[in-house]
Amino acid sequence: MGGTLDTGTTASHGDEDGLDPRAAARLLTQTQLRARRELDFRSPGLSLLAAAAALIAFGSVWLSVRGQHPYKWPTPAGLAGLYVVIAIRIGSVLYAHHRAQAGVSGRSVRRHQAEGAALAVALIVVYLFMIALASAGASNGVVYGVYVATATLIVLGTFGAAHAAARENWQELGISIAVMIVATAAAFAGPRGVWLADGVGLCAVLIALSAFQAWRLVAAGPDA
Amino acid sequence: MTRPGLDPVIHVPARLEIVATLAALPEGDALSFTRLQDLIELTPGNLITHLRKLEDVDYVTIEKSGSGPASRTSVALTHRGRAALDFYTETLRGLLDGLQSNGDRG
Repeated sequence: MGGTLDTGTTASHGDEDGLDPRAAARLLTQTQLRARRELDFRSPGLSLLAAAAALIAFGSVWLSVRGQHPYKWPTPAGLAGLYVVIAIRIGSVLYAHHRAQAGVSGRSVRRHQAEGAALAVALIVVYLFMIALASAGASNGVVYGVYVATATLIVLGTFGAAHAAARENWQELGISIAVMIVATAAAFAGPRGVWLADGVGLCAVLIALSAFQAWRLVAAGPDA
Repeated sequence: MTRPGLDPVIHVPARLEIVATLAALPEGDALSFTRLQDLIELTPGNLITHLRKLEDVDYVTIEKSGSGPASRTSVALTHRGRAALDFYTETLRGLLDGLQSNGDRG
């Protein structure tokens, strides 16, 4: 698009009358869509990968606990599956974010850093509170099952919802609320079922997000 | 009826692309000269020419930091530039509506 424009000619001549209104509108729309796509790391593909990651991560923990009677805790193999997938997911998001934000500086970059630090502290607190629950005598099913799976997702959902509301990003707000609903509903499935319900629920929410993002790209036109 | 014309500073392909690209950033953010060049696909000379015209009317700010090979030039859309793009978009929409209704009548 940009490459086909004879910008050199228009710059060196009477460049004030180079566009008719329809061409200007088309160029403006295409430029806005391209800029948004290049500067925003979110994409249907990344959301689809997140859906698969959620299913694999929570599914591996569920496989490790489904036969436990009484419930003890996720086995090291189950936790390894969970944390490897989470690490890959975080790495892919950071890579995509780094690529999209290359060359960008200013207020939003500092805000993202502060938000990242706040989220990290919130997640650490979830795990510290898990230790407090265990010391207070709560059962393994509550501490290492229902609580840790639910609280982590509620923290992530609350953080996402606050972030989205501040920017009036209604799509992100809807997804964040859906994550909190999935987490709360999954808690009713008990210490074993919570992992499966979270995995399936999150997978469904993220597939819906991916489909919505793809639909928006298609609706924006073939040049988007 | 008189309709305000399209802003001649923005109504040029390269400058329209520059302003629309910078407007995609949140207010208060800046883009490096090289990233802007990559996004718009202009030569450095061409880009700086258009940026100076935009800077002359206070639509963008150009800041250089550091020195030597580590120097970095950042470009940001000013509040005035963002308002000018909004007004340009509104005017363009009005013109297109006018063309559409003329076409329907014809």
